[in-house]
Amino acid sequence: WIGDRKSLVGPGSSPPTCLAKCGRCGPCEPVHVPIQPGLSLPLEYYPEAWRCKCGNKLFMP
Amino acid sequence: YSSPVYSLPHNEGRALMSIKASFSNVANVLLDWDDDHNHDFCSWRGVFCDNVSLSVAALNLSNLNLGGEISPSIGDLRNLQSIDFQGNKLTGQIPDEIGNCGLLVHLDLSDNLLYGDIPFTVSKLKQLEFLNMKNNQLTGPIPSTLTQIPNLKTLDLARNQLTGEIPRLIYWNEVLQYLGLRGNFLTGSLSSDMCQLTGLWYFDVRGNNLTGSIPDSIGNCTSFEILDISYNQISGEIPYNIGFLQVATLSLQGNRLTGKIPDVIGLMQALAVLDLSENELDGPIPPILGNLSYTGKLYLHGNKLTGPIPPELGNMSKLSYLQLNDNQLVGTIPSELGKLDQLFELNLANNYLEGPIPHNISSCTALNQFNVHGNNLNGSIPLGFQNLESLTYLNLSANNFKGRIPVELGRIVNLDTLDLSCNHFLGPVPASIGDLEHLLSLNLSNNQLVGPLPAEFGNLRSVQMIDMSFNNLSGSIPMELGLLQNIISLILNNNHFQGKIPDRLTNCFSLANLNLSYNNLSGILPPMKNFSRFEPNSFIGNPLLCGNWLGSICGPYMEK
Repeated sequence: WIGDRKSLVGPGSSPPTCLAKCGRCGPCEPVHVPIQPGLSLPLEYYPEAWRCKCGNKLFMP
Repeated sequence: YSSPVYSLPHNEGRALMSIKASFSNVANVLLDWDDDHNHDFCSWRGVFCDNVSLSVAALNLSNLNLGGEISPSIGDLRNLQSIDFQGNKLTGQIPDEIGNCGLLVHLDLSDNLLYGDIPFTVSKLKQLEFLNMKNNQLTGPIPSTLTQIPNLKTLDLARNQLTGEIPRLIYWNEVLQYLGLRGNFLTGSLSSDMCQLTGLWYFDVRGNNLTGSIPDSIGNCTSFEILDISYNQISGEIPYNIGFLQVATLSLQGNRLTGKIPDVIGLMQALAVLDLSENELDGPIPPILGNLSYTGKLYLHGNKLTGPIPPELGNMSKLSYLQLNDNQLVGTIPSELGKLDQLFELNLANNYLEGPIPHNISSCTALNQFNVHGNNLNGSIPLGFQNLESLTYLNLSANNFKGRIPVELGRIVNLDTLDLSCNHFLGPVPASIGDLEHLLSLNLSNNQLVGPLPAEFGNLRSVQMIDMSFNNLSGSIPMELGLLQNIISLILNNNHFQGKIPDRLTNCFSLANLNLSYNNLSGILPPMKNFSRFEPNSFIGNPLLCGNWLGSICGPYMEK
């Protein structure tokens, strides 16, 4: 339970650990990935989400 | 169930032909849609048939520049599972008959010019998982009957002209993963029911007219990865429960949020982007925000934040954007910010900061933009700034900086904007400024600079704006300025320049704004024709200058 980011023992969050989230690929690291919500003005930043990355492949945390 | 519906193949061919007939711009792209010469519509461009039933299972006509309308005959293609008309110029209304395509799983009409209401018949598409109508001109409300689609995973209606409230029922969907409603005219408030979206990761209502406050129960939205409620009229305080969110992006900017930034946000270490800018937040920046060691973007600008910049922000080791400008921050710039070796943009403009720029800032070697405009900062420009090789934007204007402009500034070769105006800089203008070959805008006005304008300014081949006004510069205007082929504004007024205006200045064909007034220039204006485009105001206050204006030594005779 400790370290489980979905546990609701109190407020707060942490990035995903990405343990065993990249299949057989390693190392599997959490990264920020921009999510493009369609046509966006160039000055607007994209929202970002966490994904697990191994090499150039992304996996859901 | 999803068993195919019986429909005669020749009827489908006919339906496709009438779909083609209501499109325009089909000449080249749908050449093979021709049942006189090719009966096998399964081979037509963009038509994909089911292997067994040989009826149309998918229509992919995306990005073909198609105009015209979507024919009601689309409803005759009863076995369609996927329609992709994205990225065309389709206009008119979405036909009600689309609701007859009962096996549709994927419907993408985005990036077109469709108008009118979203047909209620869409709710008959019980197999639908993906519905994208973003970037059209759809009006009217979001049909609450959309909630009758049991497997809908993606609903993207962004950038239309939809009005009314977000139907509450839409929130009672455990399957929905993506809700994109940004850029409409939606009203009403956020409902606490929104956290019933237990499978949702993307919630985006940016840029609508939503009012009311953030529901206290927001912390229950634990599946959300992105929460974007920016650019609405949301008021009230940021609730404590926001700290229970697991989001990577929290975008609350451009609302009317009041009160303090809750400390609990400092515990949200999953935050990659935290944007609370352009609200009415007051109180200090909580030092605990320094705990956000995975956050890359922190925007708190445009609020009423008071107190100092917490040195703890120097612990946000992944930070690339830090914007604290347009607040009421006091105290000095903490030297701890020098630890932010990934910092790309630092904007502290328009606060009440004082003291010098700490030397450590020169350690932020990734720095691209540095803006401290409009504070009470003093001291001189740290020599270490020459190491900031990535810097493109440097704005120290409207402070109390003094001392000489360091020669070493000429080494920041990527600068496109250098603004040191409205300070107390003195001494000569270093010739090395001429090495900044990418410079677009140079503003050294309103200082106490002396000596000549370096001839090396002629090397600023990209420059569009030079403002040296209100200094004590002297000597003649270098003829090398005639080399500046991109210059639009040349502002040299209120100095002590003397001698003749160089004829070569007439080679600056893009020059639209010239101000040489209030100097000691003499001689006659360059006689070239294109120089007459400048009004007398560009030259007044030079008693020995001869030109065609009232009061000039050789000007028109003054009538009584």
